[in-house]
Amino acid sequence: MSPWQYFISIFVNVLLWIYDVVGHNFGLAIILFTILIRIVTWPLNAQQMKGAAAMQELQNDKEWQAIQKKYAKDREKLAQEQMRIYRERKISPFSSCLPTLIQFPIIIALYQSITRALGSTPLDLLKLSRSIIFPFLNVPDLIPLHSKFLWMDLGRPESIAIFGFAFPTLALIVAITTYIQAKLTMPASTNPNDQSAAMSKMMSLYMPLLLGYFALNFASGLSIYFITSNLLGIAQYAMQGKANWRNLLPGGQKK
Amino acid sequence: MRKKVLFVTIALLAAALLTGCAGGAVRGTTWPGLAADDNTAYLADGPYVYAISLKDGKQLWRYPAASDRNLLFYSTPVVTPDGLVIVGSAGKNNSLIALNPADINQNTNNINSPAVAWTFNGAKDHWFAAPLVVKDKLFAVNVDGYLYVLNLTDGQSTKKAVKAIDIGGRLWAQPTTDGERIFLTSLDHSVIAVNVETYEALWHEDIEGAVASSAVLGTDGMLYVGSLASQLERFDPATGSHEPVFSAEDWIWSTPSLDSDTLYFGDLDGNFYSFSTSTGKLNWPPVKPDGPITASPLVLGDSILIATESGSVYQVSQSGQSKLWSQPGGQIYTTPIQVGDLILVAPLGTEAYLYAYNQDGSQAWQPFIPQN
Repeated sequence: MSPWQYFISIFVNVLLWIYDVVGHNFGLAIILFTILIRIVTWPLNAQQMKGAAAMQELQNDKEWQAIQKKYAKDREKLAQEQMRIYRERKISPFSSCLPTLIQFPIIIALYQSITRALGSTPLDLLKLSRSIIFPFLNVPDLIPLHSKFLWMDLGRPESIAIFGFAFPTLALIVAITTYIQAKLTMPASTNPNDQSAAMSKMMSLYMPLLLGYFALNFASGLSIYFITSNLLGIAQYAMQGKANWRNLLPGGQKK
Repeated sequence: MRKKVLFVTIALLAAALLTGCAGGAVRGTTWPGLAADDNTAYLADGPYVYAISLKDGKQLWRYPAASDRNLLFYSTPVVTPDGLVIVGSAGKNNSLIALNPADINQNTNNINSPAVAWTFNGAKDHWFAAPLVVKDKLFAVNVDGYLYVLNLTDGQSTKKAVKAIDIGGRLWAQPTTDGERIFLTSLDHSVIAVNVETYEALWHEDIEGAVASSAVLGTDGMLYVGSLASQLERFDPATGSHEPVFSAEDWIWSTPSLDSDTLYFGDLDGNFYSFSTSTGKLNWPPVKPDGPITASPLVLGDSILIATESGSVYQVSQSGQSKLWSQPGGQIYTTPIQVGDLILVAPLGTEAYLYAYNQDGSQAWQPFIPQN
């Protein structure tokens, strides 16, 4: 088994174990699994918040503001000076986007885990038989997994028929919650040359579209992961008093 | 700028990886279905159903002529007495389609394609199992848990089910009949009997594990079912009373093949068994070829062919001696079939889609590669 397949197998086994424990509810298993992932990736999220706070503080720093003015017309020199300050103050401009990027392998692994655990095609079910690494799981007893959760079939893309039009509810919720989470965590910046702020702004626009696209086209179990993860992220920021609610208002970031 | 490029690259990579793993009209999402009549092999393989001449391995036609995202074929085609080829789709529109090979049209790319004699769009889920023809009726099971009974002689071009019977669970395997009853197996751990005339459910029995294969009627009049709980279960077809008669080492995926009073079957650990229904014991210790066995064994005159996931075909004598017979490669999940003197093998993961062998294991013609 390749390392990646082993990684997937761990996901599959944990999902199946939770599914068994919670009374054969796969939607609930995905939600609890997402909470587990948030706990495991907590240090990364904490690092992101720390990085975002440091970047925010930097915007009010006199030396930072001075170099912005001084090298306003020399972008190369400005970048060099910014890097120097990052180095001196041990700030990583990438730390604020690392947790977002780390989501990608998790998303891919989770998608493959969901389809494999649901075993909705013969080949997926066969792959599931090879993925069992927890000896205490009685998989022949567990399969087939109940793929229905609320109005969804977790193994398929979701939509609700309204007046004959297939309305992609989950994709919309995914896009909105992703946007809200990204906006809440975006550091305030008044500097048009601030690359970090530009990066955060770009992420807050592209990520909702990208994850919304995934939710539209892939198994709705993946959307459950996105939504749960986003809501947990928002709650985490809010509880720590770091959520920047003003960012949700039009022009709020400038205040 | 570099960050932007990095983000976009990762996003595109993630999208590509996800897309590559998703469904849709892609070959390899699961294994092909293979059937044949006297002159033609029918291969349901991903986006197309192919008709291949058994004389020379050339493509006679394919359906559809151009790829259609709503169609995806895995289930084994069935040829009706009047020559229609019936195949279910696991694509978006969940249709069961009857193709008429006697009515061929050629498109602008010189691709031959048969006319559609009729379609049935009444199912809510995918078709994995081949339907069963009994007299003038078609008994077709769907993943939605229904057994649909269609009239083959009503002349309708858009079929409506004569009866839709809610069996429950997920139905992946072709029904079996003894002429009086239809026997169904469900992934939801059950085996069901339905009256062939009245469509009334006669019995519905739960067993320990899921069943992905069909039931087999033994020469002793009993019904045998292999399960993913690694059990071979014996049923009384009249009452449904049942008991496990053999425990395999691993999941029994494929339908056992019957030869007189012997059932041949394999498991996912790669063991091949010869079970006597008369004595209730193995005729000889399990044979272990080179990989898991998901295809049903093919009983020839005096030997048995077994295909493995490792892409090999082994020949096992009736006394349990095995030898490598051919090795097309890839993974073989589809049950090989015999037509006259030819043995047809449809592996997955090989450039060629279909191999034809003579009885001695030599290739009869160049392996079939679809015409673009």
